[in-house]
Amino acid sequence: MTTALERLFLTAQGIPTDRIPVFCNMLEQGAIELGLPLKEYYSKGEYVAEGQLRLQKKYGHDNVWGLFYVGKEAELLGCRNIIYASDGPPNVGDMVVRTLDDIEKLKVPDDITSHPAFAEIKICMDILRRECAGRIPICAYVTSSMTLPAILMGMEKWLDLLMNGPAEARDLMLEKCNQFFRKEIRAYREAGANVLVYANAFGSLDIIPERFFRELSLPWIRRDLEEGGVEGVVYYCGGARMNPVIDQVYQATGIGTFYLSPLDDIATGKGIINGRALCGGVINDIELIDWTPEQVRMEVKRMLQAGMPGGKFFFGTILMPMSVPEQNIHAMIDAAIEFGAES
Amino acid sequence: MKNMISEQYQQAVFDTDRQLALQIVQNAIDNGVLPEEIVFDIVVPSIEDSISSVSERRYTNLAQHFMASQIAAEVTEMMVPLFRQAPEIVGKMVIGTSSGDFHGLGKRIVKGCLKAQMIEVTDLGLSVPAERFVDQAVELGAAVIGISSMMAHTARSENGSIGVRRLLKERGLEQQIRIIVGGTPYNHDERLYRTVCADAWARNGIEAGAVIVRLLGEIRP
Repeated sequence: MTTALERLFLTAQGIPTDRIPVFCNMLEQGAIELGLPLKEYYSKGEYVAEGQLRLQKKYGHDNVWGLFYVGKEAELLGCRNIIYASDGPPNVGDMVVRTLDDIEKLKVPDDITSHPAFAEIKICMDILRRECAGRIPICAYVTSSMTLPAILMGMEKWLDLLMNGPAEARDLMLEKCNQFFRKEIRAYREAGANVLVYANAFGSLDIIPERFFRELSLPWIRRDLEEGGVEGVVYYCGGARMNPVIDQVYQATGIGTFYLSPLDDIATGKGIINGRALCGGVINDIELIDWTPEQVRMEVKRMLQAGMPGGKFFFGTILMPMSVPEQNIHAMIDAAIEFGAES
Repeated sequence: MKNMISEQYQQAVFDTDRQLALQIVQNAIDNGVLPEEIVFDIVVPSIEDSISSVSERRYTNLAQHFMASQIAAEVTEMMVPLFRQAPEIVGKMVIGTSSGDFHGLGKRIVKGCLKAQMIEVTDLGLSVPAERFVDQAVELGAAVIGISSMMAHTARSENGSIGVRRLLKERGLEQQIRIIVGGTPYNHDERLYRTVCADAWARNGIEAGAVIVRLLGEIRP
């Protein structure tokens, strides 16, 4: 029987397999499985790993996550206040960089793996590696140098600095985020992650103008990935569209997987990739909350019809809201497995 | 001449070139263009042009909206003290992010655009409970409540737009106050604003300005 990891590997090579890979990105849902409040759930790596394993067993999708929540990266860089909700992902409650002077003071840990905020991630990753290695892809989330400042200083301040300068402060911020990124991606690889989701909202023309993309985003993408290479790296713009930049990113880096936005046209994205890389077609998981199971099934069918011709295609979600009903998650994954097996 | 200045200003804003936009305004003033004309014939049409860009599906982005809004606010702040008469405020609104939501960029863009359109905006900040939205709108005489949400759970929360609607209904204020919502979840589900009982939604901060002007027009006696 083909394992999820083999399925992903074969699909990426363009080799026919039993069906397309189905990635389903659930984080807070793990707490529901364990019957724990979110704050308690995220306090221990054992809980997060167990939540991921239970979700994978329950729904039968092809990936697990070592990610707790996006704000973990801010904690690794000094954030001490995470605000927990009962019904959604935690927020960063304490901006590490409040003034331009704070950029100078921002300290990138020498060794991320020995940082207390990484300790529980390491426990989670160890369990996932023990239970899944060689069988199920283990995903990690690494935020690009261009995008990480948004969670360290807030979107408003980062956009202000990016657009209005001073350029020296902007470049120092990017330099420090790049130092952090290189350490972080290495740490996750060493911990056993084989899918590195490179989150780069500021690598989408929905967020920044073309000129900024060419002059800033693209060079920093290259710098982020030059040391560790692109093996296992997935280009992801945090739900923003990427079709207009796929070709430039591929030419600059050779990244092997592009994870589209639900707002991207799948056939167009596949056409731009043109067999050079794997393409993830991503469902709109905001609408997934209110669709009926039959609507979910029809939407998955439509997406797969657009993406499967020519191969090198898989199905995915963004980070699914907690309020997506279980019956819709089942309907989505069942449909992706059913229609994804058609030649 | 004003048309030419307006075109140059719009291009500078589209290119996110703040320095050039401010220089164009300064040159216009030096050449005798009135401060009122700068705001109403150059800045406001530039915002409207940005809205057209979105509705015509020309590729615009968040950074352009942010800069267009900031430049509009900056120029308006410079020009208003130079007006021959204090401008008439055409309406009032309160704005904030929904309870549990700490993403403030969208409301900042909205505020900048509305400043040029002479709408008084009171910013209630981040993570605002439904009751505070309503209390403040009543206290300040605001006819529109703007609620920004970046996450699905904060958009759909009982303490967000749904809670504001419930309170407006309970207090008999539905004829006097309108609710507009915006943020990522609404862009991914264009019917969501109805689910959360809002009167309107906007795809981005720039478009929100136009929708708010329309809502204020509905309320005005």
